[in-house]
Amino acid sequence: MIEGFRLGVYSRGATLWDGLDFAFGDGVAWLVAGPPSSGKTLLLSILRGERKPDAGDVLVSGESLYRGSAALALRWRASCGYVPEQAVVDGRLTVEDLFRRSALAGVGVRGRDRKDRADRLLGMVGLPDASGWRIAELSISERVRAFLAAELLRGPKVLFCDGVVAGAGVPCREMLWGLFRALAREGNTVILAERTIPERWALAAGDAETVGPFRVYRLPVPGKEGKEVKGEPG
Amino acid sequence: MSGQPSLWWIDWRLSRSRLVRETIGRFLYFCLLGFALYSLLLSGGGNRFLADRYAITAVLRAEVPAAEADGLARKVAALPPVRSAAYRDPEAAWKEFLRAYPGVESLRGAGGNPMPGYIEIRFHPDRLTGADIDLVASALRSVPLVEQILAGEEWLPRLLRAGRLASWSGWGVFGAFLAGFFLVGRLQERARVVALAGDFAFLAERGVSAGRLACARAAAAAVSGFLLSAAGTAVGGGALFLSLRNFPFLEAVVGPPSDLLLPRTIAGAVLFCCVAALLSAAASLLGWRAARSGR
Repeated sequence: MIEGFRLGVYSRGATLWDGLDFAFGDGVAWLVAGPPSSGKTLLLSILRGERKPDAGDVLVSGESLYRGSAALALRWRASCGYVPEQAVVDGRLTVEDLFRRSALAGVGVRGRDRKDRADRLLGMVGLPDASGWRIAELSISERVRAFLAAELLRGPKVLFCDGVVAGAGVPCREMLWGLFRALAREGNTVILAERTIPERWALAAGDAETVGPFRVYRLPVPGKEGKEVKGEPG
Repeated sequence: MSGQPSLWWIDWRLSRSRLVRETIGRFLYFCLLGFALYSLLLSGGGNRFLADRYAITAVLRAEVPAAEADGLARKVAALPPVRSAAYRDPEAAWKEFLRAYPGVESLRGAGGNPMPGYIEIRFHPDRLTGADIDLVASALRSVPLVEQILAGEEWLPRLLRAGRLASWSGWGVFGAFLAGFFLVGRLQERARVVALAGDFAFLAERGVSAGRLACARAAAAAVSGFLLSAAGTAVGGGALFLSLRNFPFLEAVVGPPSDLLLPRTIAGAVLFCCVAALLSAAASLLGWRAARSGR
């Protein structure tokens, strides 16, 4: 469980938001929707332990991320995956390099195993045979999916995705819908930050909770809480 | 929450081609340094050259029997600073004199051989000091068989000072090259950290602390520095060995090839490898810090 208590952020000389409470349960796919410049990326970095909030605290499994030990924050970040909305990428970097780098941050992902898993993950996100491609030459959609696949290599317990659904584009929504729900079904937590939620996802998710400038959706997970969601919103 | 990922040889895993180039360069540099190190260790700067040239001559009295003179030479040779003490009888001394000054054979006609016998004493290169020379000279002066000691007291201090200067200069140049290795290594490390900044930032975002990264890099630099310097020193030592075998005249300045395997020479080489490891680690840490602070 990731909990944010009375979170507040002061940015550009003004209060961006203050007194926000969040509770993200384990094994669930969450979608936080908010307008541009509302602080979605900032919220994700606060929840990941990257940026201390100006007010409030974040608890992970009951332990404070910012008032507890530094080792706890490092362990928490090590257990997380993060797909940024925009990443400054070295022009020489290839998709394979992304996986190599991701494997370095993980434990026990080596050599042959890494290649096999990378091929499977790339195939899953619709980028088979892309391992030799340069990141700089990929489209935004391809880049987002490559980053997502590389993060999944380590099997993070919590996956933060910033603008992935929008970046991947409409044709990939169905794949992402299935992927995120599958991850959640396996006990992982997925937190997505998007400007808007796809209409059919919103229909499937039902009512959203409004927290400050954000609307927090809980995506339905098949086979969980005795509830099977019909249909495949793509 | 997952455990800690292994950061061992992180630079190698992130940037192989660059590291291979740097490693080859460092290895070649260590070969040169190893050659210079062994040359300095064996030659003692200029000491071996001086020790090869310098000798004390103990001129014996005319009536000293050859057996007693030989016995005295053996006793002198047993003194710690002495490398060799050889007795030359009056006949051998006369022949040497004639070789040096041909055409003076007539000097012997009237009163027989005018040359006395003498003992030529040479010093170990590392014991060629004023104190050790005084020790041997004063020991000989008290011997009744000895008539005169020729130790070059007038010019000896200048000679020893020149030897010390040559030694300091040699080690100074060596130290400067070692410092050059450190400075270039620091620049290389800094450039590598800058080139891999994206990878390190990625790892930091995923819970790898900067301190752990810096320590892992420094430890790997120390190990690779030690291994590279050991390999380079071995190759440099081998090159010196072959040089001494092929050009024997170098032995007078550097020393015999067998001295390469003396325990003190090996200890010097091991010490050098340890210093290289420490410098490599320090260059890694300082390069990391400089890159992170943008200097």
